[in-house]
Amino acid sequence: MATRQAPPEQAEKSGGLGVVLTPVRGQLVVAAVLQLIGAVAGLAPYIAVVEIARDFLGAAVVDRDAVWLCVVVAAVGFVVRTICATTAYTISHVADADVGLKIRRDTARRLSRVPLGWFTERSSGQVKRVLADDVAAVHHAVAHVVNDLVAAVVTPLIALGYLFWLDWRLALLCLGPLVVWFGLVAYMMRDEGERTARWSAELDKVNAAVVEFVDGIAVVKAFGQAGRAQDRYRRAGDDLARFLSEWAGGMRHLDSLASMIISPPVMLLVALAGGVWLDADPAELVAFVMLAVGLGAPVLALGFGAQAMQVATDAASRVAKLLAAPELPGAAEPRRPAGARVELDGVRFSYDGRTFVLDGIDLVLEPGTVTALVGSSGSGKSTLARLLPRFWDVDEGAIRIGGVDVRDVSEQDLYRQIGFVFQETSMLRTSIGDNIALGRPDATRAEIEAAARAAQIHDRIMSLPRGYDSVVGEDAQLSGGEAQRVTIARAILADTPVLVLDEATAFADPESEAAVQDALSSLVSGRTLLVIAHRLHTIRSADRIVVLAGGRVVESGSHDDLIASGGEYARMWATQTAASEEPA
Amino acid sequence: MIRKLFRIVDHADRPRFIRWIVLLVAFSVLQGVCVLAVVPVLRPLLDGDRDAAVPWLVVLAAVTAATCVLFYAQALHGQQIADDLLLGMHRRIGDHLARLPLSWFGTDRRGRLTHSMSQGTANIIGVPAHLMQPVISASVTPAVVALGMFVFDWRLATALFVAGLVLLATHQWAQAAIARSFGTIDSAAVESASRVVEFAQRQPVLRAFGRTGENNRLLDDALVGQRRAYGEMSRNAVIALIAFSTAVQAAFVALIAVGVTLALGGSLDAAELIVLLVLVTRFIGPLIEVVDHAAALRMASEDIDRIDEVLAVRPLPEGSVDRLSEPGEVRFDNVSFGYDDRQVLRDVSFAARPGTLTAIVGPSGSGKTTVLRLAARFWEVDAGAVRVGGVDVRELTTAALADQLAMVFQDVYLFDGTIEANIRLGRPDATAEEIHEAARLARVDEIVNRLPDGWDTRVGEGGVSLSGGERQRVSIARALVKQAPIVLLDEATAALDPGGEAAVTAALRMLAERRTLVVVAHRLHTVAAADQILVLDGGRITQRGTHAELIDQPGRYQDFWRERERAKGWRLTV
Repeated sequence: MATRQAPPEQAEKSGGLGVVLTPVRGQLVVAAVLQLIGAVAGLAPYIAVVEIARDFLGAAVVDRDAVWLCVVVAAVGFVVRTICATTAYTISHVADADVGLKIRRDTARRLSRVPLGWFTERSSGQVKRVLADDVAAVHHAVAHVVNDLVAAVVTPLIALGYLFWLDWRLALLCLGPLVVWFGLVAYMMRDEGERTARWSAELDKVNAAVVEFVDGIAVVKAFGQAGRAQDRYRRAGDDLARFLSEWAGGMRHLDSLASMIISPPVMLLVALAGGVWLDADPAELVAFVMLAVGLGAPVLALGFGAQAMQVATDAASRVAKLLAAPELPGAAEPRRPAGARVELDGVRFSYDGRTFVLDGIDLVLEPGTVTALVGSSGSGKSTLARLLPRFWDVDEGAIRIGGVDVRDVSEQDLYRQIGFVFQETSMLRTSIGDNIALGRPDATRAEIEAAARAAQIHDRIMSLPRGYDSVVGEDAQLSGGEAQRVTIARAILADTPVLVLDEATAFADPESEAAVQDALSSLVSGRTLLVIAHRLHTIRSADRIVVLAGGRVVESGSHDDLIASGGEYARMWATQTAASEEPA
Repeated sequence: MIRKLFRIVDHADRPRFIRWIVLLVAFSVLQGVCVLAVVPVLRPLLDGDRDAAVPWLVVLAAVTAATCVLFYAQALHGQQIADDLLLGMHRRIGDHLARLPLSWFGTDRRGRLTHSMSQGTANIIGVPAHLMQPVISASVTPAVVALGMFVFDWRLATALFVAGLVLLATHQWAQAAIARSFGTIDSAAVESASRVVEFAQRQPVLRAFGRTGENNRLLDDALVGQRRAYGEMSRNAVIALIAFSTAVQAAFVALIAVGVTLALGGSLDAAELIVLLVLVTRFIGPLIEVVDHAAALRMASEDIDRIDEVLAVRPLPEGSVDRLSEPGEVRFDNVSFGYDDRQVLRDVSFAARPGTLTAIVGPSGSGKTTVLRLAARFWEVDAGAVRVGGVDVRELTTAALADQLAMVFQDVYLFDGTIEANIRLGRPDATAEEIHEAARLARVDEIVNRLPDGWDTRVGEGGVSLSGGERQRVSIARALVKQAPIVLLDEATAALDPGGEAAVTAALRMLAERRTLVVVAHRLHTVAAADQILVLDGGRITQRGTHAELIDQPGRYQDFWRERERAKGWRLTV
C-alpha cells in the first residue's frame, strides 16, 4: 500500500495516533492554524494576477496605483505565507522531537514494569521495531503529515471556494474531473482495509524471513542449505510481489486513468473549453486557467499524505498497544523486609495459563544457608529462581522475603535484598567500571576495584587499554569466563543478603573455570543462597539439596541423606559421575 | 535518481525502463506544449473574440489527447516496472546475501536489512509507480514553457530563465543541506536503536540490579542524544525544507512585478501580459507540486543507497572443483588469519586424517574456534591454505565443501519450525527413522517427550522456546543426521548441561570410528582420547602430540591438565 493512493478518508482513522499525539496536541493545532493562514496567503499572488487582468481589461485608462497595489498584495501574501510556514514547521519539528523522546521514555519505563515473560515472547527486534522504527514513523506524522495534509486539503478548498465565488457554473464544470477521480479511487479502494491488512502481513513475512536468513546464515551455509533458507526468503519476496501485482494489476488501468483525468493538460482544456462554452468573463477565466489546473496536484499529494498517515497510524497503534502492556502491579503500601529469610508458600505458576510449571512449592531458605535446586531441564528450577526477584508474579501462593510478600516490597528495596548472577553473559556496552557498579552506581572506584579483586578479575581489567574505563565490546573484549567474573564482581559490590546463582557454576569458558570458582567462593560466603546447578559435585556440600520434577519438590535433604535414600538424586548422581568419569 | 534506479533494475528490464523514461519526457514536453497552446486560445478571448479562439481550442484538445495517451502509456510502464522491480530486488538481494562471507553478517545488519527489504523496497517501487512523473515533469515542462515564452516576449522569457536557474541552485543547496542533517541524526538513531536492543536483551540483569526506567542511564542518554540530534537537524532542515517553496513563491511575485512593469511601461500589451502571467503560473505550478513529493523521494533515494551498499559487497568467489583427492581430510598449510587488525592465527599447519580425533586446546582467545571456522570457509585465510578433501577450500564448489562437513558450533541457531524440520536440515532426504535415531543419540527424544506437541513443537525464532542446552542437542542431532565424513565440533557450550554433555559423548563415540573429527576440546575425556592434540597459544601451535606424549613435558598442556583436574574437585561451599 505504500505505493498506491489511499482516499483522504483514511487519514481520519487515527485511533492510536490520537493517544500518542495528545501531549503535543496544542502545538500541532497552532501549527495547523498557521499552515491554514499560510495557505490562504499563498493564494494572494493568483488573486493579484486576476485583479491585474481586471484592471487592464476593464478600464480604458489603467489605474497604475491599483495595479501596483495588486503586486504589493501578492508580495505581502508571499511574506505572510513564508512566515507562517516557517513557524509552523519549526513548531511541529520541536513538538515532534519532544514527542519522540517522551514516547520512547514512557515505553521504556512501561516495559521495565511488565512481567519479564513479555520479553521472552518477543524478539529484541520487535521491541526495537516499536521503540525505534515505529516511533520514527510517528515522528514523521507529527513533523510532516499534519503540515502537509492541512496544506493539501486547505489549499484546493480555498482555491475552489474562490472559483465558485467568481463563477459557480465554470467552477462546477472544473470540479467534474475531480469528482470522477474521487469516484474511481473510491471504487478501487472499496475493500482497502482488508488489502492493507494483507499487505502488512506480507511485509511481516518478509521481515521474518530476512531475520531468519541473516541470523541463520551460519547454519545454512554450514549445511550447504543456503538455497533453502533463501527459498523461504525468496518465497516471501515473491508473495509480496505477487500480492502487489494482483492487487494493483486489476487496478492499473483505472489507476492510470484516474490520474490522467486530473492531470494539468486535461484540467486546462476543461477550464478553457468551459470558459468558451459558458462565455465566462475573460479576467475570471484567467483565474480558472491558473487555479483549476493546479487542483489535481494537491489532491494527488493528499493521497500520498494519507498513506504516510496510515503508516503512522499503524505505527502509533503498535506504540499505544505497547504503552498499554499490562504491568506487574506495584505495591500499594510498600513494606520493608525484615531479614533475609525467604519463604515460598504453596507457589503455583504457569506461563501460559494451561500447564503449571511450578505446582505447589513450599520451601524456606534460612539466612546464611545454601540451598541447591537440581532437576532435569524443564523441571521448573530456573522459573523458581526467577520468581524471587519478581520477574514474574506467582499465580497462587506467595513468596516472602523477611516476612513480607515480594509483591508488597518496593522495587528499590527488593533489588537491595536479592542479587542475581546469570548464566548467560549480561554485560552492557559501557565501561567495565560501570558494569560492575550496575547495582550501586554511587560506588567509589576503590569499592569497585575491591569487588573486582575479590572476583579475581582486577588484573585482567588493568591489562585492558583503558583499565576500568575500557568499554565492553569496544576496547574490552572479554572471554566468557572473564565476563562471568565481572558479573560476579557486580554481585559482590551489590552486596545483597539474598543471592540467586542461575547455573553460574556451568562455565561458558572452561579455561578460566578455576578462577571463576575462586570468585564464586568469595561471593557466596555468609549469604542466603539459592543455587541452580547442573553439575552435582559443585553443590555436594550445600546445606540442602532440593530436587524438582514436574514443578514439584520430589526430594530434599543433604547430599548424604539423598544418596542414602536412593531416589531421584541418587540416580542423577550415578549418571553424572559415570558420564564425567575421566580416565586418569 | 534515474541513474540510481536504473542500476537496480534487472538487465532484462532495462529496455522497458528506457522506453518509460522516453515516454515520461515526451509527456512532459507535450504538457509544456499544451500550456503554450493556451496563449492563442486565451488571447482572442481577452480581446473579446470568441470565434477566433475556437480553432485553437480544437488544436489544444488534440494536443491534450496526445498528452493523455502518453501519460497513460508512461503510467502503465511505470507500474509494470514497479512490480518487476519488487520481485527482482528480493531475488537479487537473496542470491547475493547467500554468497557473502559470514564476516559481513555482523551486529547491526539485521535491523537495517529488514527495513531495506520490506518497507525499503516498498518505498523504492513508489518511485516508478508514482513519484518519477512529477519529478521529471517539474524539470522538463517549465523548461519547455520558458523556451516557448521566447516566441512571445524575450524579456519575460529571460526573467523566467533567470528564475529557473535561481530555483535550481536553491533546490541543490536545500537537498545537500537536508542530506547533511540527516547524516548526523542517523548515527544517533543507530546508537539509540542498539541501546534499545540491549535494553530488551539484558532486561533480566537490568531488573535484578534496579536499573529500570530512568535509572537505566545508558538507554536514557541515548534517547536524549537522539532528541538533541533531532533538534539540531530540525533547525537546519526546516530552513532547507521551506527554502525551495519560498524561492518558488518569491520568483512568482518577482515575475508578476517584472510583467507589470513592462506592461505599464507600454512595451507589452495588456492581453499579452495577462496571458504570459498565466504561462508563468504554469511554469511555477509543476515546481510547487514536486515539493510535495520531496520527502518521499528522499526516503526512496536513501533506500536505494542502502540496497546498493549491500549489492556492492563482494561475494566470496565460488570455486569450481568438486572432485576430491583426499576425501575426509582436513589440512592447514601455514595458515595465518586476522579479523580486521587483530591477528588471530599465525602460521598454523596440521593435518587431520579420516578415522582420527584431533583435539584443539588452549586458553580463550587463542584462536581455537577460528580454526574450525576457517575449515568451513566462513572466512578467507590471509596467508597459507586450508584444504578439505585434499583441495584448497577456495577452489571447491560450495556444495562439495558442504558435503564434506558437519558442524556443531557455539552459536546454535534453530529455524522457526518443528524440531524434526530442524534436524532434517542436516540432510533433507533423510528417512524418518534416521532422524529419530539421530535424535535418540543426541538425547533430543527426551526433550520431545517433555514437550506438549512432541515432534511437532515449533521452536520459535532462533529456537527461543528451548533452553541453550536443548538447542545444542538439536544441533548435534542435525550434525549426526548429515553423516558427513568430517565433523567439526566446538565443545565449549556443549558442556553446559549434563544432558548435552552426555549427548556429545554419545555423538563422539558414534562418529569417531570412520570419520575425521576436529574438536575444540574442553572435556578431559575428549582430550585424553585424541589421536592428536594441538595446543594453541597466541595463535600458534606451541605443542602437539598425544596425551601420553604431552603430559610429562613441562608447558601449556601440563598446566592446562592440572588446572582442569583442580577445577573438577571444586565445590561451591566447603
